[in-house]
Amino acid sequence: MVDQLFSRRDFMRVLVTAAAAYPLSSLAELRSKEESLAVYNRSSVINKEPWLTIAEVQEHLFPAEKNSPGAKDIHALEYLQTMIQSPDVEPTERKLIHDGVGWLNDLSKQQHLKTFIELTAGDKEKILRRVEGSKAGSRWLSLLLTYLIEALLSDPVYAGNPNGIGWKWLNHQSGFPRPDKNKKYFKLGKPRFRTIKV
Amino acid sequence: MSQDYDVCIIGSGAGGGPVALELAKAGKSVLILEKGPWLTEKDYFKDELACCVRSVYTPQLKDEKHVIEEQYQDNSWQGESTEESGWDFWNGNVVGGSSNFMSGFFYRLKEKDFRLLSEFGKIEGANIADWPISYADLEPYYAKVETEVGISGRVQQHQYLEPRSTKDFPYSPTIEHPIVHRIDKACEQLGFTSLTTPRAILPKADMGRNGCEYSGFCGSYGCSSGAKGSSRAALLNRAIKTGNCKILPNAKVVKLESNHQGNVSAVKYFDENNNKKSVTAKTYVVACQAIETSRLLLSSTGAKHPNGLGNNYNQLGKNLLFSAGGSGTGEMTYSKLDKVSAEQLKIRGPFVNRGLQDWYFINDKKMGGKAKGGIIDFLLRHPNAISKAMSLKWDDNNKLVWGKELKRQLKSTFNDSQDLRFEVFNDWLPTDNCFVSLDEKVKDKWGSPVAKIRIGYHEHDLKVGEYLSQKALKVLKKMGADNIRYSVSGSPPANLVAGGCRFGNDIKTSVLDANCKVHDVDNLYVTDGSFMPTGGSVPYTWTIYANSFRVADIIKKRL
Repeated sequence: MVDQLFSRRDFMRVLVTAAAAYPLSSLAELRSKEESLAVYNRSSVINKEPWLTIAEVQEHLFPAEKNSPGAKDIHALEYLQTMIQSPDVEPTERKLIHDGVGWLNDLSKQQHLKTFIELTAGDKEKILRRVEGSKAGSRWLSLLLTYLIEALLSDPVYAGNPNGIGWKWLNHQSGFPRPDKNKKYFKLGKPRFRTIKV
Repeated sequence: MSQDYDVCIIGSGAGGGPVALELAKAGKSVLILEKGPWLTEKDYFKDELACCVRSVYTPQLKDEKHVIEEQYQDNSWQGESTEESGWDFWNGNVVGGSSNFMSGFFYRLKEKDFRLLSEFGKIEGANIADWPISYADLEPYYAKVETEVGISGRVQQHQYLEPRSTKDFPYSPTIEHPIVHRIDKACEQLGFTSLTTPRAILPKADMGRNGCEYSGFCGSYGCSSGAKGSSRAALLNRAIKTGNCKILPNAKVVKLESNHQGNVSAVKYFDENNNKKSVTAKTYVVACQAIETSRLLLSSTGAKHPNGLGNNYNQLGKNLLFSAGGSGTGEMTYSKLDKVSAEQLKIRGPFVNRGLQDWYFINDKKMGGKAKGGIIDFLLRHPNAISKAMSLKWDDNNKLVWGKELKRQLKSTFNDSQDLRFEVFNDWLPTDNCFVSLDEKVKDKWGSPVAKIRIGYHEHDLKVGEYLSQKALKVLKKMGADNIRYSVSGSPPANLVAGGCRFGNDIKTSVLDANCKVHDVDNLYVTDGSFMPTGGSVPYTWTIYANSFRVADIIKKRL
């Protein structure tokens, strides 16, 4: 599983052309430096937290099955990483995504003496349902699900839904004309913040 | 003193477009100030994120918001900023306004709609008023909109057909979805008169615009072919071609200055770089959509207008209208149909141009005899995939749905049925509990007080909505739909808004005169839906277009 994840990362390194990401080398650093989320080169952070945990959560929330795509297949992580860098995303939203990983792993270590990634599928489900029990945890999971659904069904120009895999799975006929890369929504009009509805 | 322009129009939607085109064609110099950006066919794609998830065409609520006042159980009215609630009251702040994003269901009002008070009498708690003009005054302009904006349809005789000066629509109906045969059959069995809904969509190329491409994503999306009769595609592009009309996008008007005679002397606005600017004209036209029009006039105080332009009798912002009614859905389950029928229902692209007007006027003991009713329109569930999927995110117990269960529900929602919806439109009665004022505390990013909207409704609206919904449900049942559900509520649809500057013959009870000129201001007109004292029971856009063409003729004669 972990190997697959790493090879996926290597794959992404080639695929993803965006230059920046919001990296965090460790959870400790996350908590002490939340306010200074710096921009690093994407390739230097791709194998690091919080993305490893997030990828694992995404796959749990949207698992691959025999005839249907999972989170990795729909490029859910690439989509999330790309979209939260778009100019209209509130810094508080980025912070929530990172914070949630901290809460999850704290709880996981407290209950199982393991990080989330190391848990069995059954324990993952239990702990995510516990996280959902808190207001902030529910918001965090809801936000991840929102991005997952967008990765599944938004236009491939936004980094998810590669070759329309999500549309094909659900037999969804997309409209036309489709946006090209120079006409992504945040390039229309003035850049601005938005608050995503979770 | 010479003025910069003959006419300055604030707002470029359905209210502004006709005035701009007509006056530019007449050789007058026209300036349009539009708050939003100037997007064209080259910017509009079938991109759900852009149209419907990220609110690209409307302001961010942290920058510009409203305060919505709702009534609480203790009968008090309490306001909440839309930045807090997320309840977005904006519609299309771009060149062409929200007409870019309409579905283009186009209806005329009927003769009796112009004299609702005389025809149906008073209703306790409602401020119903007759219009100062008649259907006959507006009819030539309804006809003009058919050709100028481009309306497709077919005239069918029925008991409530409006008198027409032309025989039929200039364009035949858009291609229709196979489900219309099922609707027609069910209606015939029920004794209902199924009618073809006219639409402001060109079925073929004309007037420099392409015909509809039948992508299946129309409402909420900007049109990439130009077939949809937005103010921008149908009117403003032509106004620009005359060489007499200039559009200034990203120009936010904050105030109309008035002089010691009480007439407008200048428009103050912020340009795209947030520099404060001023412009003058001989005549000023406000068309910012009802809520923002009232807000702008309320903000435009002056020596002769201490409470806002046109508000010396405390009428401005009052009698705001939405559209009352409800909506419902039924699922046409594929597994219950033969294969060919199921495949037909899956088709995406053509329109469901069907509606019912049998109860536009009601004569039924259940409704106390004669009463004003409304219309029912049928449509397919919007094909937006993300919003469809998002509706599955929470279960009935407010728990998140994920994993295989989410995937199973997704598969089913996208593949098991074609969902047929209906929408009921009936009059939103004007009352003292539905109006626009300025909020005393909340301001927008330019420091101007935002509009506070009290959204009270009249109980009668729900009664009519329920009556009509029951008729629509019969159609869904007859068609064999599953899982039929509906709702009728007093919650206002923010995209169907009018009133606030009602027109009339008495300055003490109206803001505008019969020409849509502010009573006590010589050079100020309002041409969006604000003028309507009652709204009729149809979407407003055709009437707004028609009235704006009417007022354009009036202004033309004066200039």
